[in-house]
Amino acid sequence: MLPARELPAVPAVPYSYCSRPRALPARPKYRALPGAAELEKEPVRYANLMYDRRVVRGNTYALQVTPVSTQPNPFEIQKQREARKRALARKRAKEQLQPRTPDPVEGREHVHVQTELYLEEISDRIIEVDTECQTDAFLDRPPTPLFIPAKTGKDVATQIEEGELFDFDVEVKPILEVLVGKTVEQALLEVMEEEELAQLWAHQRAYAELRNAELAEVQRLEEQDRRYREEKERRKLQHMQMLQKQKETTEKIAARAFAQRYLADLIPSVFNNLREGGFFYDPIERDIETEFLPWLMTEVEETLERKVLGRTMLDSLICTVVEKRLDAFSHQPLSDQTEAPTEEPRSTDAAPQVAGETDTADRSVAEKEETDEPVVEEQPSRRISFQLEEPDQAGTEDLEPE
Amino acid sequence: MAHARISANLPPDVDPTKARIAFGRRALPKLQEELHSPELLTQQRALMALCDLVHDPENVYQAIEIGFLDNLKTLLLHHDSTVRQKTTETLCIMAMHNVGRQGLIQNGVISALTELLDDPVDICRKNTHQIFEMMAKLHEGAVDILHAGLIPLLVFKLETEPDEIQELILDTLSNSLRVEASEALATGAVTILKEKLTHSSVAIRSKAAWVLLEIGTHPEGKSVLCEEVTPVLVSLLEDSDPQVQASAAGALMFATVKPQGRFSALAAEAIPPLLKLVAEETSKARLSAIKTLTMLAELPEGRKTLLDHIDTFQQCLDDPCETVKRAAKIAISVIKWKP
Repeated sequence: MLPARELPAVPAVPYSYCSRPRALPARPKYRALPGAAELEKEPVRYANLMYDRRVVRGNTYALQVTPVSTQPNPFEIQKQREARKRALARKRAKEQLQPRTPDPVEGREHVHVQTELYLEEISDRIIEVDTECQTDAFLDRPPTPLFIPAKTGKDVATQIEEGELFDFDVEVKPILEVLVGKTVEQALLEVMEEEELAQLWAHQRAYAELRNAELAEVQRLEEQDRRYREEKERRKLQHMQMLQKQKETTEKIAARAFAQRYLADLIPSVFNNLREGGFFYDPIERDIETEFLPWLMTEVEETLERKVLGRTMLDSLICTVVEKRLDAFSHQPLSDQTEAPTEEPRSTDAAPQVAGETDTADRSVAEKEETDEPVVEEQPSRRISFQLEEPDQAGTEDLEPE
Repeated sequence: MAHARISANLPPDVDPTKARIAFGRRALPKLQEELHSPELLTQQRALMALCDLVHDPENVYQAIEIGFLDNLKTLLLHHDSTVRQKTTETLCIMAMHNVGRQGLIQNGVISALTELLDDPVDICRKNTHQIFEMMAKLHEGAVDILHAGLIPLLVFKLETEPDEIQELILDTLSNSLRVEASEALATGAVTILKEKLTHSSVAIRSKAAWVLLEIGTHPEGKSVLCEEVTPVLVSLLEDSDPQVQASAAGALMFATVKPQGRFSALAAEAIPPLLKLVAEETSKARLSAIKTLTMLAELPEGRKTLLDHIDTFQQCLDDPCETVKRAAKIAISVIKWKP
C-alpha cells in the first residue's frame, strides 16, 4: 500500500517548475523570415493537441528511444571502425585476384599504343563540327508541257439510251439542293455584309451629325461671345466719348465763365480808355475848337498885327513928322504959311482917307470886343496927329519921290 | 474520230484570263515580274490575278512592301484600256484597307491619278473617283487631295460627269472640304452646288447639301453661304426625302451662325419647316433643326416667333438621344433669354 499522499484541500504551496506549463502555439507551416520574427506579433494561435505533430502517437511500448546523449558511445565507435576495416580488406582481396599485366622487365617500359589501322588522336575535347543546311528558294516551275499520251487499245463504241442509267429528276435533286442552298447562302452572306456596311454608314453619318451639331454649337457660342464683346466695346467707347464730351463741356463752361468775368469790365474800361483818348467828342465843340477858334485866333492875330502895323506906321510917321518939323523948324519959318493952306486940301483929302481908314478900323473894332481902349484913344489922337501933320504930309510926299 | 486528248478545252478550273499564281510567298513577286513583261497579254493576265489576290489584306501589305505601287503607277498611263481599268480597280480595292491607304499616301499615288480624270473610258474614271472618295475619308488623304490641287478639277468635273460619278465626286468633296474650303470657294463651287441642289436625283441633292454643310464649317464659307444659298436650302427643308432634309438642315445650321445668315434665313421664312422637322419624332434632321432654331432664336424677331412654339421643344426633352435633350434644353434657355 502506497503511503497516503497528502492531498491539500487548498493548494497552500503551488507547484514549482523549471518552466511553467504553457499552451504551445501552433507550429507555423513556413519558416519565419530571419529578420521579420520580432516585427509581427500575430495573435497567438493555439493548436489542437490532437493534431499536433510533435505528440507521439501509436504504441509507446516498443518505442525507438533516441539516446539521451547525442554523443556516440565508445563501443559504437569501435564497432564502426571495425566495419570499415573489414570492408577495406575485402576490397583489397578482390583487387588482388584480378589478372594483370605482368610488370615490365628491367630496362623496358610499358607504353600504351594504338594498334588499329588508323591512328586516333585521343584528347579530352570532343571534336565538334558545325554544319548548316538550307532549302533552296523556289525555282520557277516551268509550265507543264502538254502531255498527250499515245493511243493504245482498241476502239469500242457503246450507246446509252435515255432512262437506262439513271432518272435525271431523281438524281438531280440533291445536286440542285446543294447548288441552290450554296447560292442562297452566299447571297445571304452578301446581303448581310451589305446591311452591315449600311449600318456602319448610318452610324458614321449619325456621328458626323453629332459632330457637326457640336461644331455648330461651338461656333454659335463663339459668335455670341464675339457679339457680346463687340457690344461691350462699343458701349465702353460710347461711355468714354460721353465722358470726354462732358469733360469738354465743363471745361468750356469754366472757360466761358472765366472769360466773361475777365471781359466783364472790358467795355467800361475800353470806353474809359477811348474817352480818355479823346475818341468821343462833341462835334460842335470839336468844330468850334478845330475851326472857329483858330480862325478867331488868326483874325485876332491879323487885327493885332494891323494894329501893330498901324502903330508902327504911326510911329514912323511921327518920327518922320518930327524929323521934318525939326528940319522945317531949323529951316525958315516962311514956308510954314504957304504950306499951310496947300496942305489943308490935302489934309481934307487925307482926312476922308484917314477917316475911311479909321471908320474901317472902328467898324472892325466895333465887331470885336477885344479892341483896346488905347486903340480907340489912339484913333482920335491919330486923327489929330494927322491933321497936324498935314503940312508935313505934303513935305513927305515931296520928300518921298526924292 | 476519238483523240487521246480528252477535250480540246483546258481543264475547267483554269481561268484563261488570269495568270497562274505561284505558291505562298512567291505569288506576288512573280506577278510583279510578269507585270514588267513586254507582252500585253501577260500583263493583263497578271493584273487580273493581282486584282483577285488583293482582296486579302495580308497580300495588300506584302504588295506594298515589295513595291507594287510604283509599277501600278506606271501602268496607270498605259495605252490599253483594260490595263488601266484593272489597275484602277486594284488600287481601289487596296484603298479599302487601311494598310493600302497608308501605302497610297506614302507613294503619292493620288497625284498620279490626276491624269486619269480625263480618261475616255467610263469605268476607269469611276474607279479613280472611288479611290479619291476612299482616300478623302482619311485626314492625311484629304490633305493630300488638297495639295494635289484636285478640288478645282473635281468641281469642274461635277458638271460633265454622269450621275453616279457625280455622287462619288460630291462625297470626295465633302470629305476633303472639311479640312479647308478656300480653294473650292475660289473656283466658285457654291454656284455649281446650288444648281445641284435642284437636281432630280435624291442622292445628289442630299450630297450637295452635305458639301455645302462642310463648306459652312469654315468662316469664309459661311459668308458665301449666307449670301446665295439660304433660300434654296430653306426650300429643300420641305423636300420629301429625309436624307435631303437632314443635309439641308445641317447646312442651314452652319449658315445661320453668322448674323447675315440669320437674317436671310428669317427672310426666307425658315422657321415653320424647321419646327415641323423638330416635331417629327424620328426625323434625322431633328438635332440639326433644333440647333438651327437655336441660332435663329438669338435674333429678336426669331425669339418672338419661337416663344409661341416652346412646347415643341419641351417634347424634344423626352427624346432618347442625349444630345437631342441637351440641344432642346439649350434652345429653350436661348428662347427665354431676356437682354
